[in-house]
Amino acid sequence: MTKLLELRGLCKRFGGLVATDALDLVIAPGEIHALIGPNGAGKTTVIGQVAGELRPDAGSIHLAGADITRLSIPARVRAGLTRSFQVTSLLPQSSALENVAIVEQLRQGHSFRFWRDAGGDPARTGPARAMLERVGLAARADIPAEDLAHGEQRQLELAMALATQPRLLLLDEPMAGLGPTESAAMTALLAGLKGQVAMLLVEHDMDAVFALADRVTVLLHGRAIACDTPASIRANPAVRDAYLGEA
Amino acid sequence: MADTKRQAMVLGVCLALMVALPAIAAWTARPDFVTLGSQIAVLAIAAAGLDLLIGRTGLPSFGHAAWFGLGGYAVGIMAVHAGDGSLPGWVTQAWFAWPAAVLVAALAALVIGALCLRTGGVSFIMITLAFAQMFYFLFVALSAYGGDDGLGMRRRNAVPGIGPRDDVAFYYVCLVALVGVLFLLRRIARSRFGLVLDGIRQNERRMMAIGLAPYRYKLAAFVISAAIAGLAGALHVNLFRFASPDLLHWTMSGELMVMVVLGGIGTVVGPVFGAAAMVLLHNFLAQWTEHWMIVMGPILVGVVLLARAGIWGAIGGRR
Repeated sequence: MTKLLELRGLCKRFGGLVATDALDLVIAPGEIHALIGPNGAGKTTVIGQVAGELRPDAGSIHLAGADITRLSIPARVRAGLTRSFQVTSLLPQSSALENVAIVEQLRQGHSFRFWRDAGGDPARTGPARAMLERVGLAARADIPAEDLAHGEQRQLELAMALATQPRLLLLDEPMAGLGPTESAAMTALLAGLKGQVAMLLVEHDMDAVFALADRVTVLLHGRAIACDTPASIRANPAVRDAYLGEA
Repeated sequence: MADTKRQAMVLGVCLALMVALPAIAAWTARPDFVTLGSQIAVLAIAAAGLDLLIGRTGLPSFGHAAWFGLGGYAVGIMAVHAGDGSLPGWVTQAWFAWPAAVLVAALAALVIGALCLRTGGVSFIMITLAFAQMFYFLFVALSAYGGDDGLGMRRRNAVPGIGPRDDVAFYYVCLVALVGVLFLLRRIARSRFGLVLDGIRQNERRMMAIGLAPYRYKLAAFVISAAIAGLAGALHVNLFRFASPDLLHWTMSGELMVMVVLGGIGTVVGPVFGAAAMVLLHNFLAQWTEHWMIVMGPILVGVVLLARAGIWGAIGGRR
């Protein structure tokens, strides 16, 4: 199996708490890999380390064979690894279109251009409009991000991450705060991306996890207690005990 | 769209007023109005430049007086050395002296900014304040250039076609500089660079997560802002033919900040109104009481509480 992302012996401690405990994980190109586990299992800590916001205490992170353990966050984005946030994180005063257009601008190179009016530059807004179309926000392009409904903000959050054209998308609870209908729509949206972009998906919504994931890793106290196909995970008695049983 | 129209009208009226100011001063036999106008224009340049940092990038620099003072002292010191023959006379020509002042401020800001921008939040405010005070005490101690007493300038830097004592012509020079700086800042605000600064102010963490390394952009904004302050400082010293350490004092940094807040944060032209309000209030209130800040304080609090976009917001402007 070719490896897009590989975590080798990843460890992270916060004081006496072991948040990530010698974690090994491999994601293949195009794979949707779900990371599940009870609250406090260390899922977001893993995302933080892969995205570059947290430094692991030990172990290494490899993207397509290259060691990225010490790369900065922006450098990881350029290497093809982008995260989305559990708590919606947007440019609140900018329009939905501008939120995506700025991503497009950054992808196109440096921004030390001081003179030309960039607001209506089709090189920025063209691809941004297409991206809004893709996530179903085309009609809301001119609305400031802070005035969008919560579900729409989640869609915009995803659009921004996708606009970086990542090889691997780190999705930290994309369904957070969504109602059943909105969750189903978001699941369908993510399913439509299957095969185009690999995903590491942290999610509590088990319907979404089992509908989307190719493989599932179950985390407990920072340790992977199982890693298998969704069907086998569902049948796994240890997992039922640790997690699924309580749901 | 009605908003845009109203903005254009307000700006047009203000510009016409400023152009007509010398005529009004002559007609009312108040030549001091011209000096007042020059002072407003000069401080407006510095405040508008500071707004690029505070309002656009979200970096509350509390040390902007340093660049204002450095630019001012640059022209003052060059004039001293041209006077005693240790520097050639052309260093007092405006075409050389003013760009040199801008360069001095920009280079100093490049070094200091590179250090200050390693911090954020309250630390950034404090460290910019500390560096500016360091420059202040440097010039207080620099007895070769007047120390505490300041440094006089025998005549203004020579601008072709303008007499050295022509206050009205110098006022127009300041006005042209102000309009030029505002135009430049307007272009920057709408450029790719400006949009990145907007993003950094709104959500720096998000900008990093989509691939931006913010440090270089913040430093560039810091240097541009300081360069503009350097120009303002050079004009200020020319206006009064006098440089003193007060130009670099932290109260000057505070006043520039107040002008930005009063006029309208992040509005490009707002700080001009802040500078005008500050200079006029100071001038007229100080005529009846030396404790003019007792009146100024409540006005500032009122504006901050009632109008989030300052004076510019209150008269129909937007970001």
